Amino acid sequence: METITPQHFLILSFLLFTVGFLGVLIRRNLLLVLMSLELMLNGVNVALVSFSRTSLNLDGSLFVFFIMTVAATEVAVGLALLVALYKRRRSVFSEDTALLKN
Amino acid sequence: MDAYLIFSNENIWSEIWPELSLALGALFVLGLDLFRKPGSSTSLCGLVAIGFQAILLGVHLFDYLVWHHTFDRDTFSGMLTQGIQGDVMRSFFLFSSLLVSVLGNQYLKNKSLRSGEFHHLTMLATAGLMLLSQSNNFVMLFVSLETVAICFYTLVAYNRNSSKSLEAGIKYLIFGALSSSLLLFGIVLLYGVGSSPEAWGAVFDGAEGQDPLGFQYIGNLIEANPDHLLLRAGVVLIIAGIAFKIGAAPFQIWVADVYHGSPMPITAFLAVSSKAAGFFVLISLVNGPFLGMCDFLLPLFGFVATFTILFGNLASCAQQNLKRMLGLSGVAHAGYLLVAVMASMHFAGDSDRAIWVLFFYLFTYLLASFCVFGVMSLARLEDETDHEFFHYENLAKKHPWMGFVLVCGIGSLAGIPPFAGFIAKLLLISVAFEAKLYFSLSVMIIGVAISIYYYFGWIREITFHPKPSFSDDNDQNSPVIWEKGSYGLFKPCMISLAIISLVLGIWQGPFGDAF
Repeated sequence: METITPQHFLILSFLLFTVGFLGVLIRRNLLLVLMSLELMLNGVNVALVSFSRTSLNLDGSLFVFFIMTVAATEVAVGLALLVALYKRRRSVFSEDTALLKN
Repeated sequence: MDAYLIFSNENIWSEIWPELSLALGALFVLGLDLFRKPGSSTSLCGLVAIGFQAILLGVHLFDYLVWHHTFDRDTFSGMLTQGIQGDVMRSFFLFSSLLVSVLGNQYLKNKSLRSGEFHHLTMLATAGLMLLSQSNNFVMLFVSLETVAICFYTLVAYNRNSSKSLEAGIKYLIFGALSSSLLLFGIVLLYGVGSSPEAWGAVFDGAEGQDPLGFQYIGNLIEANPDHLLLRAGVVLIIAGIAFKIGAAPFQIWVADVYHGSPMPITAFLAVSSKAAGFFVLISLVNGPFLGMCDFLLPLFGFVATFTILFGNLASCAQQNLKRMLGLSGVAHAGYLLVAVMASMHFAGDSDRAIWVLFFYLFTYLLASFCVFGVMSLARLEDETDHEFFHYENLAKKHPWMGFVLVCGIGSLAGIPPFAGFIAKLLLISVAFEAKLYFSLSVMIIGVAISIYYYFGWIREITFHPKPSFSDDNDQNSPVIWEKGSYGLFKPCMISLAIISLVLGIWQGPFGDAF
């Protein structure tokens, strides 16, 4: 029977990261962009946890907690900004936020 | 109890007293804001913040110049490292944060925005920047970078009455979070290979018990396997993440928009502190852990620097909006500084000279940027983000001191002889010449020549009357009103910045001996 090796986890994590990355680039709803950013960070977490488990080194698992905290604060700030923007503009779509053009 | 005592003694908490006191001061300012009388015009918070940071800067400078010379050592089990370069950067960030508070105090008064949170966030961001400049471990690097970034997202969107400011905040958040994810993925790749080298085909007889996320360990690992694919990918991703922060091509798209929308003092803060932090991290990474990959990184940096310089200068030629123009010219400055980073990689093992040139350049850039943004923050426009060239017409006659400060700032940014910016560029060129970077050097000179065009256009508007005026014209062609009344602390600060950048162009004093 084949076992799941860290290589598989790395591929999974890379796929999650890529999906998130493409989501940030392609999605036009800013809420979904924030979700895609979360997906990228969680893809990183998958790789970290699996590396940490296979090498029996706890640093990676600890790092995951820092990443989760950072992701939470990022979303808190992002949602606050989005609510403030929505109150002024009545829209969360990126094509409606195009005041900053030369 | 004893365990706590041993813990605290081992970690040498006294080494990070400036950061600790800055964070406590930030909390104090926030608390003070609660007791502000509604409707009162005096901003006690601003004055407390300025005074506190000025005292802290003085004590910090005194501390490491006179009382105890810092020597290189690791604290917090290798999480932080202290040394002369880190201390220089800490003073740099404190000074910059002090000036941001001075600018912000004046700006918030004019715009009648709340001041407590502004100074609080500025000080917290600075504490993060100061920790960033001492980090010696990738966890520490990431956490302090994010501390800074999250404060910046809020500060960029600080002017909540303006849609543009909010929009700039959202854009900065999305691009910033994207760049930190890239950085993080790079760190994870390095960690994955570092924690079990055999599983990934890397050779490394790692010392037991060493932290696989520490700079030392990663440095040894990269030196042993400079051609390993995953390690290379990790290094490139980390550098891409930092390139986002410094606004180097091809990650410079956010710069113009974010500079355009953010409040003026924060634009200055972004231009100076955020960029300086990115460069310090970059230079300590490429001379520390990534040194083994020099041969691979140098061509990459050469390409990035060339593209950054040309893009920044050509794009700012076409700009009418001054804040966007300054943002894009900041991209060009980032390109010049990348040449210094490349030079430091050429002198492997003896990179101090290039690093000091980088510090001097950053310091003159700080002086010049605060001169320019300080005067710009005094203009009372209908929409404060839309500064254009004609708003500055004949400023030197209307308000001589503003004209003087602004011309000093622009001259120093452009690098014209009597100003400090010229000496900084000269040193940069000489160090690049020593490192035999002839191609980057010629690109840099072309870039500087292009930049003269847009900087001088601005100086012309300030000092001369480019359009002929007739006596029957009513005075409508210059709709800008400049803030009147008491500038208080602001005016002497700005004038002394301009004078320092003038004096440093003629006499470098102790700085000169370093070269």
